Formats: sequence, C-alpha cells, structure tokens
Amino acid sequence: MPRKRAPTSPKTKAEEEEPKVRADALRPTIDLARLIHSQLLEGEIPRMRLPLRTKQNIAFQMREGVWRLGKATGTRSARKLDGALMLLRTFYLVDFINEMARDGKTSTLRELYYISEGWEEGKFHSEDESNLLVEDLEVMCSRLREDFRLHPEENGASIIGDITIRERNRKGAVKTINCREDVGDGGYALPSNVEKEKIEFVKARAKFVIAIECGGMVDRLAENGFDEANDALLVHLKGQPARSTRRFLKRVNEELKLPVVVFTDGDPWSFRIFASVAYGAIKTAHISQYLATPGAEFLGVTASDIENYDLPSDRLSEVDIKALQAELSDPRFATAEWRSEIELMLKNGKKAEQQSLAKYGLNYVTDHYLPEKLKEMGVL
Amino acid sequence: MPRTLVAPARSIAEQLASKQREISVAEFFERNRQILGFDNPQRSLLTTVKEAVDNGLDASEEAGILPDLRVEISKEGESGDRLRVAVEDRGPGIVRREIPNVFGRLLYGSRFHSNRQARGQQGIGISAAVLYAGLTTARPARITSKIAEEEGARVLELILDTQKNLPRILSEEVQLWDREHGTRIELVLKAKYVRGRQSPLEYLRGTAIVNPHARIVLVEPDGTKITFERATSELPPISKETLPHPYGLELGELGYLLKASKRENIREMLSRDLAGVSVRASREVVGAAGLKGSEAPASLSGEAQEKLLAGLRGVELVAPSAEGLSPIGPLLIKRGLRNVLGDVRPDFFAPPVSRPPKVRGGFPFLVEVGLVYGGGLPADQPLQLLRFANRVPLLFQQGACAITSAVGSIDWRRYGLDQKGGNGLPTGPCLLLVHVASTKIPFTSEAKEALAEDEDLDRELTLAIQAAARHLKTHLSRVGRRQFASDKFAIIQKILPRLAEKASRLIDQPVPDLAPVITKIMDVVTLEPTVVADASSVRVTVEITNYTARPRVLEVFLEIDPTTFALAEYAPTPEGIDRGLGRAWWTLDKLASNARTRIELGFPARTDVEANDLDFYVAGVDEAHLLGADPLPGDWDVRLPRAIIEAAEAAESGPIEEEEVDYDAAEASAHVSEDES
Ligand SMILES: Nc1ncnc2c1ncn2[C@@H]1O[C@H](COP(=O)(O)OP(=O)(O)OP(=O)(O)O)[C@@H](O)[C@H]1O
Ligand SMILES: [Mg+2]
Repeated sequence: MPRKRAPTSPKTKAEEEEPKVRADALRPTIDLARLIHSQLLEGEIPRMRLPLRTKQNIAFQMREGVWRLGKATGTRSARKLDGALMLLRTFYLVDFINEMARDGKTSTLRELYYISEGWEEGKFHSEDESNLLVEDLEVMCSRLREDFRLHPEENGASIIGDITIRERNRKGAVKTINCREDVGDGGYALPSNVEKEKIEFVKARAKFVIAIECGGMVDRLAENGFDEANDALLVHLKGQPARSTRRFLKRVNEELKLPVVVFTDGDPWSFRIFASVAYGAIKTAHISQYLATPGAEFLGVTASDIENYDLPSDRLSEVDIKALQAELSDPRFATAEWRSEIELMLKNGKKAEQQSLAKYGLNYVTDHYLPEKLKEMGVL
Repeated sequence: MPRTLVAPARSIAEQLASKQREISVAEFFERNRQILGFDNPQRSLLTTVKEAVDNGLDASEEAGILPDLRVEISKEGESGDRLRVAVEDRGPGIVRREIPNVFGRLLYGSRFHSNRQARGQQGIGISAAVLYAGLTTARPARITSKIAEEEGARVLELILDTQKNLPRILSEEVQLWDREHGTRIELVLKAKYVRGRQSPLEYLRGTAIVNPHARIVLVEPDGTKITFERATSELPPISKETLPHPYGLELGELGYLLKASKRENIREMLSRDLAGVSVRASREVVGAAGLKGSEAPASLSGEAQEKLLAGLRGVELVAPSAEGLSPIGPLLIKRGLRNVLGDVRPDFFAPPVSRPPKVRGGFPFLVEVGLVYGGGLPADQPLQLLRFANRVPLLFQQGACAITSAVGSIDWRRYGLDQKGGNGLPTGPCLLLVHVASTKIPFTSEAKEALAEDEDLDRELTLAIQAAARHLKTHLSRVGRRQFASDKFAIIQKILPRLAEKASRLIDQPVPDLAPVITKIMDVVTLEPTVVADASSVRVTVEITNYTARPRVLEVFLEIDPTTFALAEYAPTPEGIDRGLGRAWWTLDKLASNARTRIELGFPARTDVEANDLDFYVAGVDEAHLLGADPLPGDWDVRLPRAIIEAAEAAESGPIEEEEVDYDAAEASAHVSEDES
C-alpha cells in the first residue's frame, strides 16, 4: 500500500526499545503529543493544522485518477472551546489506541464512542463526532484506522457470483469460499477489513462487476440468473457504500482487471453513491487512493432513462433540488456528461427508483434494460 | 349601575336601523355572520365566550370590583355538535328592568357614545350570542343576576324575537344565590371546542396576561379546569370619560353631536360638548364659519355644519388629553406575562415599553409592548405575536393588522433574531405583546379583529417595538459575552490542564507552566460578582482578574438602583460615591498579569439584589479585553486618574493574530449533507 511517511523526529531511547509494530503504526500519534508539548513550553496556544475536508478543498489527482484533498488547511486551536475539546479528545484517543496496541485488542467505532463515556469533558456527544475524529487522526498521522486497531461494525456489501476468495477469519483459520457455490441466497458478506492479509482472490470467472444500490434489485438479478448468464459479479452496495465495499471494488477492478458499473436509483443521492465509488468521498478524500475506482461507470437509472423507458416517477422534493444544485458546484460532477444529466433531472423535475423497471414485468430489467445499457457502454 | 341608552345608529348600526323595517333581525344576522363572529361553530363558541367575558370584565371594573370570572363549557345532548356555555362574573349585577334588553335586543348598550376606553362599544355583543344560540338550537338564554340591593337573584329565561328585535321572556323566578352580586349567562349553541390558536383557552390566556387584576377559571368540556390566578389585586385606575375632541371629528359625528346637544346655542355647545375648545376658541370658530354663534345647535343646516367643521379645523385647540385611556403599565405587563408564561420559564423578560399618549383622528391612543425570550419558547418557530386592543386579545386576521405589519417592517436581524430577507415575522424563541389603548380603536371592520394602517399609529408601534427589541439585543449580547466567558473558563480551568497533562505523559515529560498560555487564551480582564445571602446579610464579592499579558491600572465604577445603593457598605472604601446616581468607584492598585483582586459589598439581610442588578463600567482596558463589565460610557462626565488615562492611551499593542480558518467550524458546515461510512 502506498503510504506517506509522517515527519519524524530523532528517536528517543525509550522509543528505540518499543516493539517494531507500535513504533511504526503509532509513532505519529506520539509525535502529536510532542508537538503540543513544545507549543506549551513556548507559551503558545496549543493548535494543530489539518487539511480541510470540504467540497472546496478536493483536487483531482491526475496520476491516481481520483479526487484527493487539496492544500487548504484549517487550524484546530485551544483558543476556542470546540477546538480545545477536540485537541483534548485527540489525546484521549491516542492514549486509548496505544493502550489497545499494548494489550493486543481491537475496537469497533461504536465501542470507541462508548469508551469516551469515561473521558469527562472529552466525551463525544454523538458517534458522528467520534468517527470524524478518527478520520482526523488518519489524516494527521497518514495512517488508516485499521492501523489504530479501529474498525466499523461489519456492514460491508454482499457478493454473488463466480469468484473464489480465501479469507482468514478472526480465529485465524483460513477458509476458501466460492461466492456462488458456497453461499446462500444472501451471498458472501464482506468483512470490514478486505486488505490482502485478510482476503485473497483465488480465481474468478467474471467479465464485469455490477454494483447495485438496493437489495431488492440484487435479488431480482440473482433470481433471474443474470450473473450466471452474463458472467457478472453482483455487489450489493447497501445505500452509501462502506469503506470496505469501496476498497473491495477497487481491488477487483485493479487486481482482476474487471470493469465496474454502478446501477442505482435515479435521484441526486444515488449520483453521490456513484461519485463516492468512482471518485472518492469528500469525508475520506485523504484516502481516496485506496478507495476510489476511477474506471467505474454509471449505468443508471439516468434522467434520460426515466424519459426513454417512461418509468413511473416521483416529483423531486425541495431537498432533492437543493442536493442537485449542490452537485452542480461539486468538482467531482464537473464534467459535461454529469452536468447535462443533473440539469436534465432538474428540468424534468422527476426521479425514479431502479425497481420501477418492474412496470414492464419481472424479466424486463435482465432481458432488456441491462443488456441494452451494457451494450451501449461497451461492457457486453 | 350601568347607565343604559339606546345606541344611536352608526356603521352597521346605521344599516340595521335604516333597514329594520325591511328585513328581520334574523336576516340581518345571517348576512353579517362573519362580521359578528359567528361564521362557523368553532368561531361562534369563541365569540360567545369573548362577548360574555368582556362584559363581565367591563362591568366589574366599572363598579370597582376585582374581576372574578368562571367560564364553563360542557357537552349538551348526544348529537355532539352542541355545547353549553356558562359565564359568570361577580360584577355589580344588572337591575331587573334592564336584563331583557341587555340580552334580548341588538344595539342596546351603555357605551356607544361614552368617550372612554372600554371593551364593549356597540351594544351588539352579548345579544348577538343569544340570537345565535336561539337560531341554532332554539334554546333560550338563561340569565341569573343579583344586585347588592336585593335579597335574591333574578333568573330569567328569554329569547330574542327576530321579527321585532325585542326580548321575549319565557320564564322568571327569584332564587337564592351564594354571593352579594354578579351575573351568569347560560347558552346552548351549535359549537365546537378546540384548543390552540383562535380558541377560548388562547383568548382567556391573552386576557389574563393583559388583565393581571382578573382571576379567570375555565372548565373545558372534558372537565379540565384551568385557572389564571390574579397577579395583582390592584384595579387599573378607572379611565375618565372624556368629551370628543374636534381633531379628526367627521361630519356625521358632528351632526349627531349637534342634534343630541342640550346646549342653548352653538357657542356653548362647542366649548362644553367638545374637548379642547376654550370659550375664546369657540368664538373664533363661529367667526371663521361665518355663523353668529347664537343658533340653536339642532337647527344648523348641512351646509352650516360643514362650515362649522372647517372652522374647527382652522383654529388652534388644546390637545386631547389621555385621561380616557387605561394603559396596563410596564410593571403589570411584566407581571401578567410572568404569571401566565410561568411554565415556559423564559430566560428574559424585557423591561416593558409604554409610550406616552398620542392623538390620531381626535382620539388619544398609546402603545405598550412587552417582550419575552428563550426558555421553553420554540426556537424554530416564528415569533409569537400577541395583539391586544383595549386589553382585548385579537385572535383573527393577524396578517391584515397594522401591528403585524409594524413588526414585520422592522429588521429583526439587527436585534439578534433570524428573519428571511429582513422583513416579515422573525423566527426565534420570542413572544411579543403589543397593546394599543384608545378611546376609539381604529379597527379594519366591525368584526374588531385587526387594526387599520395609519401613519401615526404605525410610528408609535414601530418606536415601541424597536425599544423592546433593543432590550432583546442587549440581553443577547450579554448572553453571548457570558457564554464566551464560560467557554474560556472551561478551557483554562479544565481542558487545557488535562490536555497538557496527557500530552506530557505520552512523551514522559514534565507538564510546562501554563500561565503564559492562559493569558493568551483569555486575553481579558474579568469581573465576576457572586452573591451570597444568609440570615444576617447579603454579601456580594466582585472578583477582578487580569488575564491579559500586561499589568493593568483600572478604575471600576459600579451602579445599582439608588434605593438599594443606599443600603450598601463597601470594602475597600470607594474613591467616590454618588448617591443620587447610585454609583461608587474605585481606583485599583496596579494589577499584574494573572493577578486578581476583589471588591466586597454588604447589604442588610433579605435585600433584593442579584448579580444582574449590578452594572459595572471599567476604564483602563478597552472593550475587546473586558468581560463582565462595559467600558465607560462616552457621555459620563468623570475625571479619571492620570495613570488610567496613560494606560488607556498606551495602545493595545501586541501581535495581531493571523486570521486562520477554524477547522472545526469549517468541518461542521461541510458534513451536513454527506452521509458516508
Ligand atoms: N355581565 C354584565 N354585568 C353588568 N352589566 C352588563 C353585563 N353584560 C352586559 N351588561 C350591560 O349591558 C350592555 C350591553 O352589552 P353588550 O355586550 O350587548 O354591548 P356592549 O358591551 O356595550 O358593546 P359590544 O357590542 O361592543 O359588546 C353593556 O353596555 C352593559 O351596560
Ligand atoms: Mg359587550
């Protein structure tokens, strides 16, 4: 994994003796403490500088083909209450992480949130707050949350299709699983960690990957035998996809050279789902290079599909319209195709669910819609 | 006893009188249902309650009795669309011979031409309710009334004869009633009970706020009993009856006054039947109108009346007096609001504003405003506007009312509330009470629901509301300063020490001295008063801390209400004292960076003094570096010691912080729409 090295200072004797793992993964967290301590010694108000994770501060990275954080930074300073609290929490978190490393434990993000109950004024008010701080720490230390022994609850995608995977489970046993033969109707559930040390690809008989927003549509395709007939891997995104899902898509795309198409509802929120798969999400722009699949393509439902297939639709709500307008100023959507797609949706004022294709019968999506669209895209 | 007279015709009254022979009262009622407030079952109930309650309040106040009202609303029969309404007061009662006319005859009342502030004006109110009840349920009104002079109460059942506009008595008896005097009216009508805006409960709540001298009980159909206790047992001063003033008098009104006058000639009529016209002025008016002055008032032709009116307009007159007005007054507005909004626990009651009386169209009027903010008031809703005219809540037609447009034309953003585009009702946890008192309220229609736009009225409304809004702004900026202070103290007292300790321990280093960082974070001089009351005294300790990086020489001024001030003892002894202003001042010894000193005040036990009552002003440090006190107002004529002037002149130098983007503020606004895991 390409990884930026944190700025390091000469090692102290104590650090030299620390176990290698801790020194490597967690040294940047200790560097943060050193930074604050030196500011205090100088009589300076403690503060840290972080890249801003806002829509205005993401930039396209030619080489990787993904959107990454730009150069604009903000300051988290103890001059203000919010900043002071976040600084304090950062060190509660650093303490906790180092403790876990010592004890050989891991923790879910949700557990972390509850652990903070004991942090007095540092206690988080919501899980969002604790998740954000973990991301901040990833940025500040140029590490992934897995390095901090933190992981989300298992909420990754499920996979259906002819791919064989070798997973090292949490007991250390290695299982070889074919995602069609060895699983039930629910498919193979991705764990939260899908890195090589956890999951290996053994072999795959597939021509492309189709990532689908809703469970109902995954079931429809599986029931109609779409994956078998077309050598497709079905990936259920479950709404806005988790990091592990995006990481998995990236790996199959890069390592197995499979094209990825994204099939969602036709509404502004689904556009964002696609953007986070293909270009990277703003919140995780600091690690886009691991998560984004720049080659992924949007299959539909597009605004023009709603017209061309005369799909049952709903009127755009006020929030939908706001979301579309926000997308017009989002650099990830600043291509001619996306602009015209978004503008068309605004103009028609309509959105449609992917399952609205059932208007023409249960087989329509697999017999007509997908083959037509995939041919158009040159995948089939 | 109320003096009753048959009201002379005007406006609707006029219509009715002229058409009385052609159309029946029932027809008239049908046509004017909306104006009279009986256009649907829900509104009809409210109107009925309102008419009876207004009468009870008017009668009690006129008789010098503290109003004590009980409103009972209960289900009647099985059909579900009928209610029984009983309203009872402990007012003076009504003499037997007037009862039938008061309740069973439209346009019979005592106030039509009395030029003073009262709720009832037209003599339609209660008989319209009787009529409505009769028309919808064919049930008679049952009146119980007792006057102090009689042993028993008169109980009459009557209906309004819609053909003749006369009462018809169905039964009559005398009963014992467990009170000296009072009146109860019971009606059965087609009606619907609801809560919420435009409901009897809302009406009574509003009434209780602006009539803190009244006790009002409401029993709802499900038996729930709601009591608005009195907040004062002082009756409002009875407003004096005043004569009509020529300013704004219209021709028709003048004609009526001339016809009804008992004076021998117009000169006398002018100086005695009108306000503001002296004997000399009456001569001038007559002269200007080309009249002799000795004409009998009733004899003037239409043309002569017009000339007379022109003459009245051309002569300088004594301005109308405000004696006919009965304002609520700042004290009682506050008490009324406190009393009724107690369960909402607002953070702030602005000092109410009571404007001096002004005149429009010949009638004096004045505007009063109360404002309440915070606590349980909903923050995401439009400001709650409570409109009142002569102490009567206005529940309908908010959008068409001059009060609403005055509120909406103010830019509330300047006073700290959200407001889209800077006009219209602002949003925020704010309740605004606006009371207009006048001997003649300029309603938009006979329905008495909204005030008509008028330049003079609008100016007064705007001034009064802005004055209240300024109090809100002061409050909000104080709250902001207080929040700022408590944030800073949280940082330096709790967060910073813990942060330093954790960071140091992670790298096995001793914790550095935090004093320089603390002064950088705070960078203010703080004044914090604490009040401790015990059985023997009330003690106030004012702690003054210099959290700036440089030493300070300070002059501290304290102001308290002079009566409280007179009770105070001080340590150290003040540099000077001004008892009239309630002001004391101290020149403090040089206060080093991070050093602190204190001033102590002592008051006798049970003195009513809170930290909020103490106003501090400080010289020797600029506003940006001062917490818990204000800088010395520019218009104070005080001589400051040389050291302070020098200190103040030495500009507040020091490196200017480079403006940096606050990471957490930028983050908070960025993540609202993203929802990825
Ligand atoms: N509860 C009462 N106690 C004593 N007198 C009353 C009571 N109710 C009504 N009156 C007398 O009866 C008169 C008629 O009442 P009514 O409500 O019809 O007219 P109003 O109050 O004068 O004017 P408005 O039409 O504006 O209500 C009043 O002016 C008052 O003198
Ligand atoms: Mg009345």
